[in-house]
Amino acid sequence: MECYSLLRADVPALIDHLGKFGEVVAPHRKGDVSYSFESVLDSSQVVLDYNRTLLPLKKLFLPPVEKLMDFSLKNMSFDPVELTTQPRVFFGVHSYEMQSILRLDHSMLSGNAESNYFKRRKNSRFVGISFEPDDFHFSESVGIAIEEMEGFDLFLNEIDDDFQLYVLSDNGRSLIQGFKQIRTVEAELSGKREFKKKIRYHYNRLPRIFQYAYKSKVWADVAEKCVGCGACTLTCPTCFCFDVTDEVSVTAEDGLRQRTWDSCMLSTFAEVAGGENFREKTINRTRHRLYRKFKYITDEEGLPWCVGCGRCTAFCPAGISLPDIVNELIQEDEKAQYHHTVRV
Amino acid sequence: MKRLQDVKAKEARDLYYPTMCKVVGARQITDLEKWYELQMPAGQDLGHEPGQFVEVSAFGIGEAPISISSSPSKKGSFELCIRQVGTLTNVLKRYEQGDMIGIRGPFGKGYPIEKLLGKDILIIAGGIGLVPLRSLINYVLDNRKDFGRLIILYGAKSPAELLFKEEIAIWETRDDVELHITVDQPDESWTGNTGVITTLIPGLDLNLNTTIAAITGPPIMYKFVIMSLKSKQLNDDQIYVSLERRMKCGVGKCGHCQINGVYCCQDGPVFNYTDIKPLEEAL
Repeated sequence: MECYSLLRADVPALIDHLGKFGEVVAPHRKGDVSYSFESVLDSSQVVLDYNRTLLPLKKLFLPPVEKLMDFSLKNMSFDPVELTTQPRVFFGVHSYEMQSILRLDHSMLSGNAESNYFKRRKNSRFVGISFEPDDFHFSESVGIAIEEMEGFDLFLNEIDDDFQLYVLSDNGRSLIQGFKQIRTVEAELSGKREFKKKIRYHYNRLPRIFQYAYKSKVWADVAEKCVGCGACTLTCPTCFCFDVTDEVSVTAEDGLRQRTWDSCMLSTFAEVAGGENFREKTINRTRHRLYRKFKYITDEEGLPWCVGCGRCTAFCPAGISLPDIVNELIQEDEKAQYHHTVRV
Repeated sequence: MKRLQDVKAKEARDLYYPTMCKVVGARQITDLEKWYELQMPAGQDLGHEPGQFVEVSAFGIGEAPISISSSPSKKGSFELCIRQVGTLTNVLKRYEQGDMIGIRGPFGKGYPIEKLLGKDILIIAGGIGLVPLRSLINYVLDNRKDFGRLIILYGAKSPAELLFKEEIAIWETRDDVELHITVDQPDESWTGNTGVITTLIPGLDLNLNTTIAAITGPPIMYKFVIMSLKSKQLNDDQIYVSLERRMKCGVGKCGHCQINGVYCCQDGPVFNYTDIKPLEEAL
């Protein structure tokens, strides 16, 4: 592997160098305890050690609010919004976040491929960074190592407080072309970082668990705690459900149509005109969310649609933990199997 | 898994822009339902299958999924029949001849006509369920020799709520249509059947091997109708249902119409019963 050493003190210079390609987006502090992906104005402000940003990177590919068209009520006509995109480099991205983008690619580009998503994605480069797992990360349990480099153009692996820089694509190579503060070294992958949070089974055993978990008692327990706020899905890097709404200007002559993030955890999500609600109870919605992550798309694509970032758990106001739910389902399944064995 | 590098730039499309269609006919046909005839910009056909739907757009309000009520064999224009039950549909009530309505689609899967050829077609429509099924009925009537018997069961709450009364009058006079209508709440002038739609099923004399049933109605209706059909010895794969869901985008993205892992707007709204029978959220 093409590998260089990079001193921590030289990282801002690297970020400045990346700016030659286009806008650089990187994690920044937001308030005392939160982090956010923002455009880099001052490379010294970029945070290299962070647990997770509140909103995932999806916000820059599938914006929370996106104008689709302007319309005229007077003429009953509309003007399309032509999206132009600039080259962007996403710096300091964790492996689970990159994996979420690869999953979003599938969701937005398979079947009917969406042009706005495609345009934003096409012009993007990714520079990864290793991280120290906290109490909520569990990406290893869904098959994503800290040093998983799929999708990245460059990757910074922290070793003894400085970094090794891996070049992973031709695009990555051109990003660092002319950057002098690196020197060639032998790649060594650090194995010191341990995940504290784990799902007890390997992820390829989970489809079987979910196959039999539909009527589990666990869903009622989760629904009991859930307040239905939708924070889990809004902060989820692979959730992509949306609503489309019209806004009329004060003159009532024109307006705009926009796409906004929506959430299957909100009570009216599956409601139709006339009041019929096809997922009326919280228990139906909490189950649906987990099945979206571990069963429906997974059955077709062979991968969990959860990347183990820990956001849904870390930001849940009711203290609901996704890996704990999965572990409870596993436990329930083990009990059922044990009783079955004893009876037989 | 679909990857970015597998997608060519020209494959990625703007999915959310409507085509502006002209209202060339509009008539309130009951207290709650209005019928519209629409024309595409160049008078071209919509190109739909019986059972498909479109997203109807009213600027300032939004979009809603609406079944196409005319048969593809009708050329030059297409028809919708819309119940005024929500914000958008109540605004559409004001639309008259000459107005423009935004249309996206057609979307989803309709009835697989090639599998229906030569078969006896048993239509079971509850209330507004007749609207999408009218597309199939008229398709069969326009290609009458390609199909066996055409049996239509239609149930409405009251005689006043019966849709397409003039067309029904024509169906009644045809020798090649077996029409049975029932209402739940008859008025004084009603002389026909009374009761829910399942009461029409036991008396049917069906050719078991050649009958295909197409059911559309309120959510509550499906289980009971399917039970009645099963007691007539119809197999699961002889039954098609069309399901209502909140199909917001129509292109398999927004998530609102999901029935377990299935997108109703892509794999439906018309489903063979065998395909949705294992889905807990379907019926």
